[in-house]
Amino acid sequence: MIELVNVKKVFNAGNPSEFSALNSVNLFIEENQVTVLKGPSGSGKTTLLSIVGCMSRPSAGRVKLQGREITSLPERFLTDIRRKTFGFIFQQPNLIKGISVLDNVMLPAYPLGEKRSHLKIKAMKGLCELNIANKAASKVEWLSGGEAQRASIVRALINDPHIIIADEPTAHLDTKLSYRFMEIIEKFKAEGKTVIITSHDPLVYESTMVDRVVKLRDGQIED
Amino acid sequence: MILHPTVIANLLAAYIGSGMVLYAVFYGVQILRHWDIQSGHELQLVLERKTYLISTLLSYVFGLQLLSLFLYIFTADSLTPLFVGAMCAAGTLNVDSFGYPTLVLKIFNFILAGLWLVLNYADNQGYDYPLIKKKYLLLAVVAPFILLETILESAYFLSMKADVITSCCGSLFSSERVTGIGSEIASLPALPMMWIFYSTMFCTLLCGIFFYMKGLGGYLYAALSLLMFIISLVSIVSFISLYIYELPTHHCPFCIIMEEYNYIGYLLYILLFGAVVSGIGVGALLPFRQVESLQAMLGGFIRNLALTSVILYAAFTAMVSYEIVSSSLVIAYEVVY
Repeated sequence: MIELVNVKKVFNAGNPSEFSALNSVNLFIEENQVTVLKGPSGSGKTTLLSIVGCMSRPSAGRVKLQGREITSLPERFLTDIRRKTFGFIFQQPNLIKGISVLDNVMLPAYPLGEKRSHLKIKAMKGLCELNIANKAASKVEWLSGGEAQRASIVRALINDPHIIIADEPTAHLDTKLSYRFMEIIEKFKAEGKTVIITSHDPLVYESTMVDRVVKLRDGQIED
Repeated sequence: MILHPTVIANLLAAYIGSGMVLYAVFYGVQILRHWDIQSGHELQLVLERKTYLISTLLSYVFGLQLLSLFLYIFTADSLTPLFVGAMCAAGTLNVDSFGYPTLVLKIFNFILAGLWLVLNYADNQGYDYPLIKKKYLLLAVVAPFILLETILESAYFLSMKADVITSCCGSLFSSERVTGIGSEIASLPALPMMWIFYSTMFCTLLCGIFFYMKGLGGYLYAALSLLMFIISLVSIVSFISLYIYELPTHHCPFCIIMEEYNYIGYLLYILLFGAVVSGIGVGALLPFRQVESLQAMLGGFIRNLALTSVILYAAFTAMVSYEIVSSSLVIAYEVVY
């Protein structure tokens, strides 16, 4: 489903501070599987994830999504793919303060022009499934850590993406909430979604629902 | 050189534009030589990123190029009081041997820059940079003319001397003179030229509407719009100006941009230049209709270009007709002055 061919990523190329985050990475990620990118800090996990999720471009190499080469796409086409294909869950919930949970969840869908009433129904359904529908009207600063994380998951799903990308999702969660998060991931898998997670949390990469663990070190995949 | 704000603005615009074009050509040549969308090589990815910068930059540069034609004419017009004998831009452009060649080059570059913008817009609609090599090839063609224009424009403004006695438009565009292209056009018979103008315009508009509705005859429309542009310019000198000035002997194509004539010349020229660029743009894009990544949008864009061109030519004709109808001048016989 996702294929990386000889992907390299160099930051500050040509400067004394040049840093090579990824070195000739070749990887194939299967559809409807949970893949974990595991590795120590600075191994290139997040860089790889951001390239897969079309959030950044490689310095060399190509990425194919369902057979279609996407790294060469002009920015507006890439934005469209990013918006419709990927759902992002970050280490921090990154919710926008000052507006309600419901508005936060609906925000990524606004550029697609869907009718607000339909959107609201979809958002409320998502909040119900993760048991935070009662917080829909609350401002995000009133949420607990777990509630904020769940709100960010609902936000990631609002455009019904095929691929969920989660960057260190359990880094700020306690054990109980981390297990709860993995249950949610299992549900995504059951729905046919592809999940890619970066983590160095054993609770994540040792989970039974994880199909594949890809080990990264110094910007390269370890056999 | 005369240190007038408009002269400085013209030169600055020319130097900035030329500098940016040179920068773009440097990467354009690399794109022409090394572009390979199938490759994941570092250079290819650098070129993919660079092309955003270059095409954005060139969009502004060529936008400025379009405006610079009118700024140039405005400057020539506003410098008129400084030269003995000059009554309008026609005289100012005649103060040295570089004024008119610069104007001709500016008109030529206006059309080329407009075409590049049309091509660039179409290319940006495709997901795989379908026209990238074509648009950089066109840039390689345009760039020398832009640079030549800058050299001529610099020579024109830098060699300007206030003590020069120049010719007025009445002399440069006079049907009595025997030499000079201005006089030759001015001496064309007004009534037959009017017939040629209206009949060619009728055919052009008909062809444009037919293409818009049926999608046929696009190349013919592009050719006709170029022909119509030339005929319109000749017509302005030959008979349109006569009706605007209400004088059977005054053929100047520059006095019409003056306040006394409500700046109508600017409107007429904007309509005319807009019409020719969109009209030729139809022909320039037609060969790429079958390109896979453009198939969905290019047909509609070309039709819209044709419609824009038709509307602009129709508006030009309406303005000209209004001036003729509302004019006190009646040309009932051949002008022989």
